[in-house]
Amino acid sequence: MRDVYIIGTGIHPWTGFSEKVFADFAAVAVDGALKDANIEWKKIQAIMAGIFIYGGNAGHLSGQYLESIFGETGIPVVNVYNACATGSASIRMAYNSIAAGETDTALAFGADVSPKGFLTAKSDNAVQDRDVIRWKMGGLPNPIYWALECRKRMAKYGTTEEDLALVKVLMSEYGSKNPHARFKKTYSLEEVLKSAYVCDPLRLYEICPVSTGAAAVIVTADKDLISKADKAVKINATTMGSAIYGDPTIRISALSCPAVAEAPMLSESYSASQQAYKKSGIGPEDIDVLELPDNSSWHYLVYLETCGFCKEGEADKMLRDGMTKIGGKLPVNPSGGFSSHGEALSAQALWQVIECANQLRGRCGERQVQGAKVAMAQTYGLMGNSGTTIMTI
Amino acid sequence: MDKMANKVARIPNLVDWSTGEVRLMSAKCNSCGTYFFPKEHYQHRPGCTREGVEDVLLAKKGKLASYTVQYYPCPAPFKTEQKITPYGIGLVEFEDEKIQVTGIITNTDLKTLKLGMEMETTILEMYTNEEKQQVVTWAFQAV
Repeated sequence: MRDVYIIGTGIHPWTGFSEKVFADFAAVAVDGALKDANIEWKKIQAIMAGIFIYGGNAGHLSGQYLESIFGETGIPVVNVYNACATGSASIRMAYNSIAAGETDTALAFGADVSPKGFLTAKSDNAVQDRDVIRWKMGGLPNPIYWALECRKRMAKYGTTEEDLALVKVLMSEYGSKNPHARFKKTYSLEEVLKSAYVCDPLRLYEICPVSTGAAAVIVTADKDLISKADKAVKINATTMGSAIYGDPTIRISALSCPAVAEAPMLSESYSASQQAYKKSGIGPEDIDVLELPDNSSWHYLVYLETCGFCKEGEADKMLRDGMTKIGGKLPVNPSGGFSSHGEALSAQALWQVIECANQLRGRCGERQVQGAKVAMAQTYGLMGNSGTTIMTI
Repeated sequence: MDKMANKVARIPNLVDWSTGEVRLMSAKCNSCGTYFFPKEHYQHRPGCTREGVEDVLLAKKGKLASYTVQYYPCPAPFKTEQKITPYGIGLVEFEDEKIQVTGIITNTDLKTLKLGMEMETTILEMYTNEEKQQVVTWAFQAV
């Protein structure tokens, strides 16, 4: 297997809803990535596209749609969907294609224009799609799932409402320094604690909304392109994981979960991260900067445990002791996290990879983690999807 | 159970009251021992032969393993005639079946919710359909 490097990244900053089509956002991100890599479109030998599920035919074949904008060249174009971990799937395919020698240079991208309001059921067949049941009879918007787990955590480990609010305080501070972030206002602990409950114990500022955004990453094994790049970032591992039988987490869209744990919580992310550690030979103790999926403040805490950065029940202490701040032992989400961006389904995992690459390339200005050499991007998507990417410079 | 006459579940095969008690409709795999809810949503143990899956009803009562109070109305396609927000959602554990199931909490003062409290399965009336039937969902209430 060949070594694979990131040589170019591009982002369309995260925003609210838009009348523009998703391909316009994608084009901005891809233009940015080509410029950053200092290469022409014709150098791209494969496109691994995250699909945009609300985009109809164009969205489901987003790679072809994008290729037609930049100019069709006959290269392999594969479209992939793994819910909110779609971006992880696209970069993993790009990596594998290059590492195996099939192609030298590939583009991974995702672009998403979220519909207004909640994301609800996409079919009307309750037998094959339990999402129909949860919306028609369950009364279960996504944050309820997080709140149910959060209350369990509070009872088991003593997580407090102040801990949950502190996550938002940190994320808003970092998000305010990130030009790509959608939300740039900073919040004090008091302000977060005064925000309304959405589903207690989670408050409005402690959950992330849906957003619009696009991200593109160009990866290569071409030595010439690597040497010409502005600090190429090595991908040490990019993996995907699925859930493990007996995972006690109440998973989004599910109506039940096992009462007896036989696997770790969020086992899809345990699986992805363990694979990445094994494949790269890099462990949690080696990571200088971490991007994790803080869909809610609960996620921020539990992900530190799921991915092995501390033992179960110890994440709150890491947070309280300032270990997860920029300048702490393990800076977490210097980007401002999902809390400052919101979810743009097919793009968000790539955006996390790009933040990590930017940190390693020393491009993050006020939110820069000084001397970062090893970074990890961790995401997850509903129904047992997760991806981990470990990068070094 | 006359009061259950003229009631219909919004989606079939989830909640049953034919025995005189409101119970959730599950399926049990007799090979790996796993219970499923909804019953068609199979989640077998890896390596299971998947033979001998049979329809079963979950116990009437369970314990509250977690809960939340939702302060915003659930968006469509969720539908109720009466305003139910804020409403409780419980995760109720059925110990023998080793499964926890979500459900709206009804007929219960939400301030009295406590982890571990005993809950029983019931129904919540959502709206009246064109056939003048009461359309219901499953729900949980404090015992």
